[in-house]
Amino acid sequence: MAKLNLSKGKLITLGVLVVLALFLRWTVQDWHQLWTISSAPDNIPIVAMLFLVPIFTWMGIRQSRANDRLIAQLETDPALAKTHHRKAEPWRPGWAREIHVWPYLVRIEFLVTVIVTVILFVWSILLNAPLEEPANPNLTMNPSKAPWYFLGLQEMLVYFDPWIAGVVMPSIIMVGLMVFPYVDSNPLGNGYYTLKQRRFAVGMFGWGFLMWILLIVIGTFIRGPGWIWFWPGQTWDHNAVVFDKNVDLHDWIATSRIGKTLHLGFLSNNPAKFIFGLLVVSGFYVLGALFFHWLMTVDFKRLSLRNWFPKDAFEQKLLARTSVLQYLTFQFFAVSVLLAMPVKLILRLALTIKYVWVTPWFNI
Amino acid sequence: MADSTKDNESLVKKEPELPVKDPIVSRSTSGIMLLCALLLTLSLAWSLYDEAFGQRPWKGMQQQFVSRYSKYLKSIKSRAGETEAQVKQDPEYQTLDAEAQAATEKVKADIAEIDQKVTQAQRKLDAVTDPFQNQRGKLTVINYDAEISSGKAKEKHLKDAQEWRAKAVDVDLPADDGSGKTVTQKMNYAQLEKLFNDSRDEKARLLGQKADLLKEPTELAKKRDDYLKHHMTGLGPTQIDGLLRKMDQFDYSILPHQISVNEFNIVDRCEVCHAGIREPLDLRPEDLAPDGPGKKPDSFARAFVSHPNKEVLQIHTPDRFGCSSCHWGNGRATTSDVKGHGRHKFWLWPMFEKENTEAGCQQCHAKDRVTQGAETLNLGRDLFSQRGCVGCHRYEGFDHEADSLAATRQSISQLEDQITANEKQIRLDENPTEGTSDEEAQKMLAQSESLKVTNSILAARIDQLNLQSKYLMQDQKKVGPNLKDVRLKLRKEWVPQWLANPQGFRPGTKMPTFWRFAEPMDTGMPPLRDKDGQEQIQAIAAYLWQDSFNGKLPEQQRGDVAHGKDLFETRGCLACHSIGDEENKIGGTFAANLQKVGEKANFDYIVRWIHNPRERWAPYCPKEKRDLTEDDYKKHNLPYEFDTELHSRCPNDGAELQVQNMTVMPNFRLSETDARDIATYLFSLSSPPQYADVSFMDSPELREKGQALIKQYGCAGCHEIQGFEDEQRIGKELTVEGATPIERLDFALLTKNAEEGIDPLKLHAPSEATPSAKQEEKPWYNHKGFFEHKITEPSIYDQGKEKDPKDRLRMPRPFLTPEWRNALTTFLIGSVGAEGANVPQSLFYNPEDTRRQDIQNGWWVVKKYNCMGCHQLQVGQRSVVMDLPFYQTPEGKDLLPPRLSSEGARVDPAWLLKFLHDPSLSGEKTADQNAAIDNAAQAAKPTSAPSSSAANTAAAAPSPAAANAPPTGGHLKAQPGLDRNGVRPYLKFRMPTFNFSPNELQTLVRFFMAMSGQQEPYIKEPLQPLTEQEKLTARQMFTSGTPCLKCHITGDPTHDAKAIAPNFLLAGERLKPEWTFRWLLDPSQISPGTAMPTGLFRKEGDRWVVNLPNPPASANEYHDDHARLLVRYMMLLTPDEQRRLLATAPVAPAPAATPAQKAQIRSKNKGGETTLNRSRRARRPALVDNRSLRTAARPAGM
Repeated sequence: MAKLNLSKGKLITLGVLVVLALFLRWTVQDWHQLWTISSAPDNIPIVAMLFLVPIFTWMGIRQSRANDRLIAQLETDPALAKTHHRKAEPWRPGWAREIHVWPYLVRIEFLVTVIVTVILFVWSILLNAPLEEPANPNLTMNPSKAPWYFLGLQEMLVYFDPWIAGVVMPSIIMVGLMVFPYVDSNPLGNGYYTLKQRRFAVGMFGWGFLMWILLIVIGTFIRGPGWIWFWPGQTWDHNAVVFDKNVDLHDWIATSRIGKTLHLGFLSNNPAKFIFGLLVVSGFYVLGALFFHWLMTVDFKRLSLRNWFPKDAFEQKLLARTSVLQYLTFQFFAVSVLLAMPVKLILRLALTIKYVWVTPWFNI
Repeated sequence: MADSTKDNESLVKKEPELPVKDPIVSRSTSGIMLLCALLLTLSLAWSLYDEAFGQRPWKGMQQQFVSRYSKYLKSIKSRAGETEAQVKQDPEYQTLDAEAQAATEKVKADIAEIDQKVTQAQRKLDAVTDPFQNQRGKLTVINYDAEISSGKAKEKHLKDAQEWRAKAVDVDLPADDGSGKTVTQKMNYAQLEKLFNDSRDEKARLLGQKADLLKEPTELAKKRDDYLKHHMTGLGPTQIDGLLRKMDQFDYSILPHQISVNEFNIVDRCEVCHAGIREPLDLRPEDLAPDGPGKKPDSFARAFVSHPNKEVLQIHTPDRFGCSSCHWGNGRATTSDVKGHGRHKFWLWPMFEKENTEAGCQQCHAKDRVTQGAETLNLGRDLFSQRGCVGCHRYEGFDHEADSLAATRQSISQLEDQITANEKQIRLDENPTEGTSDEEAQKMLAQSESLKVTNSILAARIDQLNLQSKYLMQDQKKVGPNLKDVRLKLRKEWVPQWLANPQGFRPGTKMPTFWRFAEPMDTGMPPLRDKDGQEQIQAIAAYLWQDSFNGKLPEQQRGDVAHGKDLFETRGCLACHSIGDEENKIGGTFAANLQKVGEKANFDYIVRWIHNPRERWAPYCPKEKRDLTEDDYKKHNLPYEFDTELHSRCPNDGAELQVQNMTVMPNFRLSETDARDIATYLFSLSSPPQYADVSFMDSPELREKGQALIKQYGCAGCHEIQGFEDEQRIGKELTVEGATPIERLDFALLTKNAEEGIDPLKLHAPSEATPSAKQEEKPWYNHKGFFEHKITEPSIYDQGKEKDPKDRLRMPRPFLTPEWRNALTTFLIGSVGAEGANVPQSLFYNPEDTRRQDIQNGWWVVKKYNCMGCHQLQVGQRSVVMDLPFYQTPEGKDLLPPRLSSEGARVDPAWLLKFLHDPSLSGEKTADQNAAIDNAAQAAKPTSAPSSSAANTAAAAPSPAAANAPPTGGHLKAQPGLDRNGVRPYLKFRMPTFNFSPNELQTLVRFFMAMSGQQEPYIKEPLQPLTEQEKLTARQMFTSGTPCLKCHITGDPTHDAKAIAPNFLLAGERLKPEWTFRWLLDPSQISPGTAMPTGLFRKEGDRWVVNLPNPPASANEYHDDHARLLVRYMMLLTPDEQRRLLATAPVAPAPAATPAQKAQIRSKNKGGETTLNRSRRARRPALVDNRSLRTAARPAGM
């Protein structure tokens, strides 16, 4: 019997795919509609991303791990470190220690340019721009969806009030992305893939990126007429009815059984609800900051039930290099976006909480 | 990953064994580079192709069109020559050609002469031109020199000029004999100039002469060529060559084929692909088949055909309207047929399916009742109003009487409230309280005075509105019968039976099936009957039974079946009603099939109904909201009488009453015996079966439930039901239903099915004609699909829904044939209003000239009363009776109701109004009745009060005509004009009395005038009185040759029994002289197939003379137009004169002559003195009778 040479990673990947296939097989009742959504010209990029994001992530991780191994090796062998500067194809005797950009990089880049051009040509020939007929001002289509790249934003409107979701959050995200280079105190990891040296940075970016993609996927595939939640493959029924009663957190507590026994009814009134919301949000920021601090410094290898706070020496060193301003800036953006978004999503979807903090000017 | 780990681990160890070459440096990328370059080149090429053709699919179509069309043109080129030759064989063409050639021939000699003279003049001119111009040139130079010089030099120049003028030059003039020789003449300047000018003028004069001569031949030739052009089936070879050249130079692009109408923002590029639409040839798909003309056509061939209705295109020129204005679709889209036809999901105006094309007409012609040429649409409108859709659904224009009536009543009650308030104020003002100063009291008094004036104005306004409401009530009709009569009319047991399954009892009936309580039927859908369906039927039946008139009808004996059958078939019943069961029924679909009347109805009631369907059991007072009883009248010491004329007001409060049954069925003025015979005939066709027990119909609890149900189902939309007189329509207004956004049409649980083309009703299942499986799978998530399914199976959108019974759909299932379904669907999808239209409102059909408005207004009335069941109103239209088996023989055709296609031109509008008001023409003009009839500015009207006191007198002293059918045991109200046709008593058909209100009378008269393009108002031209001599001449002409009185009615009963044309005595009042004149000259042209003989006159110079072999001497001496004389004679005919006429030419009662026979009869009947006297004596009373017929109230002989 031929020996099946399957690594653990391949097995896991295969397993996930099989489970996914079975899941789709049993849950999707309306393949026709799924196909309609997936094949719409405007949805092609996001469908492609469903595959491209995992693939490129996987490729990036693989390369990082290879680099990390190399780094580990070189760190133990200073002599080797002197010769092995090359990472993609590590140096061997007889080879040039350094390779020039021209022509070796440029020719590859040129090839890629040509390939991308061909792809764009074919794409633009096969799929026309999804321009539609003139709009009817008396009738908005249902569901009325933004282009795919804005669907994450549109989906955010479900969880925050328009002012927050439409203006504040996007601004924070954009400013945050611009700020990143300046709050980064890590001198390593420039120009090559690495996980070990930029564990936290990569993790945070990956988290944010995946979250954004997830929102777009929800907006594209899950939200149907009336912006109602339809699982993929469920028919988008225009007459679908859902019972969806969202309450603000203070009301939720005030009217809960515990709230009643503790006589917390006053929480529903002004200014109690304002103060309450302020306290909750402040508490969230404090807790969130502690959470990120823990994430930043914990040594996952030594993490155990008994020891929750093992310190990672490397990360500790990085932290030491970070100024207070850099640290606080990062914490603000991280808690406001990376943590607040999923927390609010869960609150809203699982606990039907509408707003946590209700003020006359904005709601969170 | 495991592999790479291994590699890395062995990195150092394996180093020496590894290839020495650095892969990054040494690896060649040329292979992949080549591949990429190739791919890039390919994709570049592809994108260029895509740009040129892929994105411009029409180019391919245009090329296909050009190649196929050219092929077709070449194939017909040879045939085209033949067709031209064939047309040239045509005698008419030959005549025209001969005329043209003769004219040419006639002037030929003159022309030749002129041509010769012209040549001569030209030669002279040619000869003189050159020397003259030379001389003139030189002279000009000398003069110029003289002008710029002075002194001696000037004098010299002037002298030179003098010399030049005097100098003679040689001119070679042609010889006058035309021999071609030249004569040399010496001429000085003055002579040259004169000769030059003279010959030039001569030439111009000659050419003018020639043109004058050629005028006639040219015109004739043009006429001939036009004839050829219009009569050729195809095109001439030259024209085809022209088309071929056009194809050679075809422009393969969009712009030259685009229609752009800036004014209305219309841009249509339909003709980019549909290139053959406006080609002069009638292109059929097979002409443009891919494998050559005549082969099997493909979809391209079907797209290239020419427009099937070029007449419509002529009215709606594409250059002004575009294509998408009518057909919808996206006129600008060219990239695919889906987009171009607007089948794209978001395009608001998807192209109408072929079978619904006329929906596009409705868009702009929404106000029309009849749109010429849109037969499907017209059918849809007919169905909408006749099948009772209008009972529940409001639609602008349809059944507007109900709405107007409600509005009028509301205005009345508002005004009355105001009057009451004013009166209160007046009382207050007139009785000032203590302590009011004199001044104030004066002021208040003045105010009360002014209020009194206001009140009197308001009262006048109320009177006006009352009158209007009276007319509206007269015109308001219901689709279904009056259910207040249920107890009088029906068998009790039959009622629940009918409710349970109307189609089972009477297939095709207007009564729809109320699927919520009716017995389940096999319609291919799961039945959705309410759980308490059976109980609902019982409840409704109980209410109807308990809340209806309970009275005693006059009992009736059975009559003569055979006579009844004859009457039924010949009086005109079949124009609306049908008879016979399913397979072999005859008659119209306008009203019910009467086969099974015997099973359901009460004989006494049916007799009364046939006798006068408008006669109501009791009048309804809309103010008190109840039916009045005899007691109400007794209280006020009034006889229990109600009619539309003098007794239309409520004795209690003066409100206008509903005094008629709200049926469109007219009064045929049958005698009671005849009515009885017809009823007997109808009852002989079926007999009641055994019915189940229906004692529940007397239960008061069920009655209560029934009341709620009747309200819910909106029964009162079509029926008059006690307690529901003011019930509003329960359905949605449909005027702009077609513009409802698709999202708001509730497909309910069928949305998905509709989108995917799963059709539970299989409405478009492939038939034998089009066996394509594809058709069935067509999605129906569109307006067409929604309407079609809704009207076919109204329960369909309740399928699978969980609903409270009161929320369930209520629309019942109507009876529809596939054709009807399509017509109604067409009507509905076209009903888009201004908002939903894809053209600006300024393009809508809004006739501004009164003529067209009159026509459109008239159609509503014409269609309402089914005039076209009996009459032909338009050329080519077929009435129902024309197709009945009894009228297929030539004799039968003579007995058809008159064609009305030129009625407006024929008759005097005042007379027509009178006739329509009372077709029996039996009314009497009395002053007091005049006031009641018509407030329109018409001349005095006759009246025919169905049950007025006058009519009662008539019944007491029946006119002789009525006496012919003695009312044996008659106890129904007698009616005036009994058993009598006003104009054509010889017809078995009876023009019934419709009881039109003055509003409708006006509308109808104006309609007929407008249809014939008559001027408004009609002013009768005074006719010159006849001199005695003229009278004599006319009389002789009248009696010689074709004896007019043979066919025309004279008033003699024995003679009239055989007569087939109207009485001349009516002519003066009835006909227009101009029409009569044309009619006399050539009747068959006005009414093809008429019995009136043609060729009575022949043209002699400018005048028409009688066409007789031996014309009477007086006629020969009469030198004016004979036809005009006869017209005047007829118009001015008096009864005395008619008598004299009859005396001169006593006509023995003869069988009705066929036109051929009539033509033979030429000799004068020379009756002896005795015959004459006898016939005078015999005829005398008859003539008086004839007059007395017009005054029904007067006893005979008075």
